[in-house]
Amino acid sequence: MTDTDGETSVATDADSGGTASARTDGGTVTGRTGLRARLARVDAGRVGLYVTLLALVAFYMTPIETGLVTSFKTTQAVTETAPFALPGEGFTLEKWQTAFDVLIRGVGNSVLYAVPATIISALFGSLAAYGLTTTNLSGRYKVAVIAMFVAGIFIPYQAVLIPLTQFWSNVVPLDQLLGFVWALGINDDYVGIVELIVTHVAYGIPICTILFRSYYKNMSEEMIESARLDGASLRRVYRRIVLPLSTPMFAVVLIYQFTQIWNDLLFTLVLVATESSAAAPVVLILAGLGTSQEGTDFALRMAGAFLAALPTLAVYIAFGDEFAEGVAT
Amino acid sequence: MPGIVSRLRRAVGGDSDTTADTTGTDARPDGGTVTEGTRRERRGPIERVGQSLDDRFGGDFVESLPFWLPPFLLMGLFVYGAIVWNLLISLTDYQGFAQAPDYGNLDFEMYVRAATDSGVIDATINTFILIVAFTSATLVIGLALAILIDRGIRFENTFRTIYLLPMSLSFVVTAQFWLWMYNFNNGVVNIALGTFGIGPIDWIGNSSIVLWAVIFALVWQFSGYAMVVYLAGLRAIPSEHYEAAKVDGASTLRMYRRVIIPQLKGATISASVVLMVFALKAFDFLYSLVSNFRPPNGADILATKMVREAYSNQNWAFGAAIAIILFAMALSIIGPYLVYQYRRGNL
Amino acid sequence: MADLELDSLTKIFHDGDDEIVAVDDVSVSIDDGEFVVVVGPSGCGKSTTLRMVAGLESVTSGTIRLDGESIEDVKSQNRDIAMVFQSYALYPHMTVRGNMAFGLEESTDLPDDEIQRRVEETAELLDIPELLDRKPTELSGGQQQRVALGRAIVRDPAVFLMDEPLSNLDAKLRAQMRTELQRLQEDLGVTTVYVTHDQTEAMTMGDRIAILDGGRLQQVATPLKCYHEPANRFVAGFLGEPAMNFFDVEHRDGTLVAAAFEYPISDDVAADLGSTRELVLGIRPEAVEIGGSVTDEHHFGMTVDVVEPMGDENTVYLTFGDEATETNTLVATTGGMRQISAGQSVVAHIPEDAIHVFDRTSGRALHNRRVKSEDVAEIGPE
Repeated sequence: MTDTDGETSVATDADSGGTASARTDGGTVTGRTGLRARLARVDAGRVGLYVTLLALVAFYMTPIETGLVTSFKTTQAVTETAPFALPGEGFTLEKWQTAFDVLIRGVGNSVLYAVPATIISALFGSLAAYGLTTTNLSGRYKVAVIAMFVAGIFIPYQAVLIPLTQFWSNVVPLDQLLGFVWALGINDDYVGIVELIVTHVAYGIPICTILFRSYYKNMSEEMIESARLDGASLRRVYRRIVLPLSTPMFAVVLIYQFTQIWNDLLFTLVLVATESSAAAPVVLILAGLGTSQEGTDFALRMAGAFLAALPTLAVYIAFGDEFAEGVAT
Repeated sequence: MPGIVSRLRRAVGGDSDTTADTTGTDARPDGGTVTEGTRRERRGPIERVGQSLDDRFGGDFVESLPFWLPPFLLMGLFVYGAIVWNLLISLTDYQGFAQAPDYGNLDFEMYVRAATDSGVIDATINTFILIVAFTSATLVIGLALAILIDRGIRFENTFRTIYLLPMSLSFVVTAQFWLWMYNFNNGVVNIALGTFGIGPIDWIGNSSIVLWAVIFALVWQFSGYAMVVYLAGLRAIPSEHYEAAKVDGASTLRMYRRVIIPQLKGATISASVVLMVFALKAFDFLYSLVSNFRPPNGADILATKMVREAYSNQNWAFGAAIAIILFAMALSIIGPYLVYQYRRGNL
Repeated sequence: MADLELDSLTKIFHDGDDEIVAVDDVSVSIDDGEFVVVVGPSGCGKSTTLRMVAGLESVTSGTIRLDGESIEDVKSQNRDIAMVFQSYALYPHMTVRGNMAFGLEESTDLPDDEIQRRVEETAELLDIPELLDRKPTELSGGQQQRVALGRAIVRDPAVFLMDEPLSNLDAKLRAQMRTELQRLQEDLGVTTVYVTHDQTEAMTMGDRIAILDGGRLQQVATPLKCYHEPANRFVAGFLGEPAMNFFDVEHRDGTLVAAAFEYPISDDVAADLGSTRELVLGIRPEAVEIGGSVTDEHHFGMTVDVVEPMGDENTVYLTFGDEATETNTLVATTGGMRQISAGQSVVAHIPEDAIHVFDRTSGRALHNRRVKSEDVAEIGPE
């Protein structure tokens, strides 16, 4: 790090182009020796930079790598090999098999609520953001409404947890209201899934709205006005102009919301309660995985952790840019 | 339904009409805070002319309602309705397996109990430590990462993706990873420290260390987030500023300290608000470490204490009171943030 | 086709407790088929006026009548008005065809084939049929401008509104489009309100121009009338480049006394001034004649301070004394072939029939230059 300072005049010039132009400049002004010395310093600085970056990669990847190799080890190998070393002799798929058997119903349950909740909250967010952004509303009321949306993002869920339980058990006892569904032979534990969908939609609306709003604010105002003058109502403007142009933001919001909902433990804990429930989501089962036996079965836990993380990891690796945009907004 | 709609229309007509009426005379300078009640009182006399006035002054108000009102009501019910309800529950003596609290007898008993409960006090202190240490460490590391990545490196996207990767994982998952990292006998952390002759240390078991171990793990998970926010901030700074600083003869260090970092104030504020609120919500991580409502000794925070009191001990009213304390802390962070955003015209 | 009437149109914005009067009691009657250019410096309220006509901005007070019917309560989507925006505001996800068809699809019940026929006809008129299936991002600025125009024309609206539609084009294309727009408007005969800050566009395009300043209407008249017979000092100073020379003067018994010179006036002019003594004398740079000798009191011996050669003409800065100050500099234009250099002594003639005199407090024009009708074609604006 210390030697990065000296040659920054070149190094920050950005990538290959910067280095190249520095080289031609150096050649004409200072001659060959100067050029060579300068190049040497540049390289030292760049090497230092990349070494730092790679060390950081090691830092961020170690817990993940350790988990991954451990998940392929037999219980014996876990204690006998270094945690980050490859399994070698002690390789086994047994832990993955067990984790899969235990978690697969949880994965199914998670999909059952995460997918609809993601889509509905994104749609609501888009509608609300459109209604509050590209329309002509009296300023101060609009600000008040938007401030409530923004604050809604940051509410600690603990502050709404007990009323939420009360709501679903006393005010809207879905369990009884959906009696006809259970009569069809569906396990009534699945009421938790319905509750989770509604709950996640409600608490997802603020962030979705604000994400879409930041996008709609940058949309050309004149274009919307032009569409209004062309005779389109608000509804038609949304259908024909705003919605088709929202596709990139939908990608961002859907990915962000899916990750959030899939990963959330708190609501599943209070709404579904037990991992033995037929409707238990994957995070709930995972939280208790590998502890029931005496001692902790780390290999099983790691395999389970990866299985549970697989959908979000896949989404993240495929749409990393959209995810980054979602969290940065 | 049509009845409701037309009533709404009239209400809205009245509402927007009042706006236009009073703005002319400035009779109500802080009209933004005028409550529902006042508006409803004014609905009556205006009902007759409601429709035409609505068209005249409402702009897109009525037409835009179907778009934002349903999401707003759903969100409002679950967020703000629930908070008010929670406040009410915290004033009761609700506990045990009763179906619903008794709202007949309201008092501040639970808050008195919270103020004198050593568990709550410890949890509050831990929450503060967590917020401050976690937020500042994450910001510093995130800024460093952003500056490194922003120096025109190759494979920039790959590096960024790797640093941000932990953020995409669930607390439940990362808790498993770190439990294994912190393992006393065979964890990576103790092995690494062992090569320097330190340890082994019981990271999770030692009550004076565990909180810092948790903070470290959370920093690992969230520094990528701070990096992304800072990176967006750095990208927004015109390259002329770098060049001008260089022409002025500033060293790299001075350039960042004097020219670049001051311009990242907005990014810092947004990122810290988000991180602080994340810290308040760190429940998932602590729960998953032990698969239990009782986190490791020395790592209890208000978020875990609240859930434990309510869902494990059935002390509903007490839990609600702790939740209100937690909410007040969040509000003290969000409130100034909202004012800041409002002043900058970002709302 | 329709006539448009703005009656005491006022717009007040609220900024916290402050009231900002953006448009102040503006009344203009625009005849069917007329081309009116609204012009003024930035922030004068011209765009706000246009946006009120479009229904994009609410009206604080006053009336907008389209063919005698007030429309300020009508939503913009129902006003039968088409607008061309400065940014063109094309829908980026639709082809040119889609962009042009959108308005007809939304505002009429026409069958698809009729819509297509009209779109193609309009594209033909604008000479862009080969662009119909392209997306806006594939078009050059000038082409986008034509599509924006086509989108307005195809709807055959009662009124065209144009908000600085040419300001994003380069100078050459702008001049070309100026002519073409005028020709189109004449052919189509649609009532048009055109907003610009560019006085060349105002002078050359409009049947009449409406000049706004600080939200107030200063003058509505034909371009030449505004130029030669400005209603007040603002209009006089706003139109013309280089701007009219102004000197604060005091009227003393048939003589206008300025800080640097004295200018005797005839009884006719003095009669126009009445009893007002605090005045401003105005003279256009092209009305100042340089050369000859001092033959009467309207000739002044002056020193050339700076010469800016423009090619076709020279802009000459003259001073009454040796030192240039704010009150003693006179700007004149001369033919580009004349040899004049800084430091030279010259005689400048300020003809009495070319002077303007304004009331210094109100700015109102008390006396304007005399324009003989047969001269107008010759004098013309540059």
